[in-house]
Amino acid sequence: MMMMNELRKSFHQDLDEVRSELVHLAAFVTESIPRATNILLSGDLEGADYVISSDDEIDARALDLEERCVQILALQSPVAVDLRQILAALRMIAEVERSADLVCNICKAARRIYGHQLDPSLRGIITRMGEQAQQLYIAAIESFVENDAAKAAAIDDMDNYLDALQKQFVQAIFESHAAGNIDLQVAVQLAVVARFYERIGDHAVNIGERVRYVITGWLPEHRGAARYRSRPLGSELDDVTTQPPATNETGA
Amino acid sequence: MVVVWLLTGAVIGAALAALIVSRHSHRAAEPVTRPDPATEQALRQLRVVADRLQSALDAMPVGVIVADGDGRVIVRNKASDQAGGDTHSEVLVQAAVQHHLRGALRGGQRSQTVELYGPPRRVVIVHAQPLGTDGAVATIEDVTERSRLDSVRTDFVANISHELKTPIGALAVLAETLIDEDDPVLISRLAGKTVNEAHRVAGIIDDLLELSRIELSGDLVVSQCDVGSLVREASSRNSYAAKQREVILRVCEIPQDLTLHADQAQIASALGNLVDNAVKYSEAGGSVTLTAFPESNGVTFTVTDSGIGIPTHDLDRIFERFYRVDRARSRGTGGTGLGLSIVRHVASNHGGAVTVDSREGEGSTFRLHIPDRPLAAADHPSRMRTRP
Repeated sequence: MMMMNELRKSFHQDLDEVRSELVHLAAFVTESIPRATNILLSGDLEGADYVISSDDEIDARALDLEERCVQILALQSPVAVDLRQILAALRMIAEVERSADLVCNICKAARRIYGHQLDPSLRGIITRMGEQAQQLYIAAIESFVENDAAKAAAIDDMDNYLDALQKQFVQAIFESHAAGNIDLQVAVQLAVVARFYERIGDHAVNIGERVRYVITGWLPEHRGAARYRSRPLGSELDDVTTQPPATNETGA
Repeated sequence: MVVVWLLTGAVIGAALAALIVSRHSHRAAEPVTRPDPATEQALRQLRVVADRLQSALDAMPVGVIVADGDGRVIVRNKASDQAGGDTHSEVLVQAAVQHHLRGALRGGQRSQTVELYGPPRRVVIVHAQPLGTDGAVATIEDVTERSRLDSVRTDFVANISHELKTPIGALAVLAETLIDEDDPVLISRLAGKTVNEAHRVAGIIDDLLELSRIELSGDLVVSQCDVGSLVREASSRNSYAAKQREVILRVCEIPQDLTLHADQAQIASALGNLVDNAVKYSEAGGSVTLTAFPESNGVTFTVTDSGIGIPTHDLDRIFERFYRVDRARSRGTGGTGLGLSIVRHVASNHGGAVTVDSREGEGSTFRLHIPDRPLAAADHPSRMRTRP
């Protein structure tokens, strides 16, 4: 019995350490979002270099953390909530690491558009996108730290606003380009930047979904999966998927 | 640094007391060996000492964290718990503390400046050093205000020399060109430019004088002002500039009997500057709206424009003297870079505040709150003069 308690204690200690390291990585990304926005808007090349070079540290720490999760899985064979915690952590590490890459991409874009003046309306929407992406990430971390499924569920709604901002931004790019204020190259770069912010938001949404999964065991994908399973055999969808994809063949 | 050393003494005391008390209380909990009255007395005294030192640590603005030889935290004060502000900044600050505590346990002092983009933006210095042979102490110090002041000071010198030297340099060049020029058309054009530059220097000097008058005199000539006429005056003084720039200037309905006890000339100057700015940074077809309404025992004036807006990271600096968001633009707008400093001084002279809310591409809203009957006469008798 004593032995069992000792083991469980060590498992929970490991789990706590994984959680706090994951929170630290996510906090790092949260912090670097406004930093990248500022770099982009002020053409801070030195800052861009700093953020890009610090991504290596994130990569190394993410790899270490992943290894620890695998070790815990192999050595402790957790079950139920404990198993879900580790599996969710594994998925979340990947989300955080990818978000850090996207922040780097924003800094790389800052290098490419260096020296070009942007309209105030474009700058305003970039600021808003940065703020909203950071808000999503803050909510994701808080829901994870507090094990708050309701807060995690709210992230999805917050993401709608970020998506709307991206659309608005693309429209503003068209207008600015039509007015002759930015050339095509910068316009394309800016459109890609908007996509980076939007993707950071999506990763925050994914983290929120994993938080809900740990607490409830439910994922939004379950809805689609249930629909799929409830379809009668030989339904239209099955027919389509079993047939060779005709359009692709002619296209190729 | 002195604070840190003073601290170290207190911290060692607190840590020792906490350690001894905790060890003895463990023993006291065991039913078999009850301590004799003398030991109990000594324990009580130790607890009092430990509590007193802990309260002293809690009263300090600097965060203090003490770890034992294994890196476990044994003492921390209140300030160290709220060092980071919100969740994610807190995590980053605590991670830096842990990192440096571990480093200090291996020997040697360490310190790091942690810049947090927030929002709000903050700068924190984490310092760690070993405590004797067993343990380490880390301090967390918020230096946001200090580093802001540092940059204000260095930028001020650069900005003032830029603002004063540019028109004077231009005057010299123009005059030199005029000396050797015979073409009357060119001469009249150069002379026109010379006059413009001279006006520009004169404007800067006027603003500097006004600012130092507002800043140094401090004496408020308080009288009962009609808020409606103050706002209308600010609007009409800028109506010509607005017309030229094709900006629509609107004054919202202001309650008839709204009055304010304040220094009329200073309020007029502040409002004039706010409207002047709003018009200058609006594009053709834009609009500037003025309102005033009673709020928390005073009056709040707002000036809203639909102009180019202010970048977020400049927002907390625009009230500094000669601060420019975009230097390249400053000559185009013809401002002196002192307008908003004047507004801020007028607000603080009256015990009020000026705040700004802005978004690039959408416009800005400046709010000037002036409390009625500023600074009760009893508090600042020397600063108050009431007009008979």
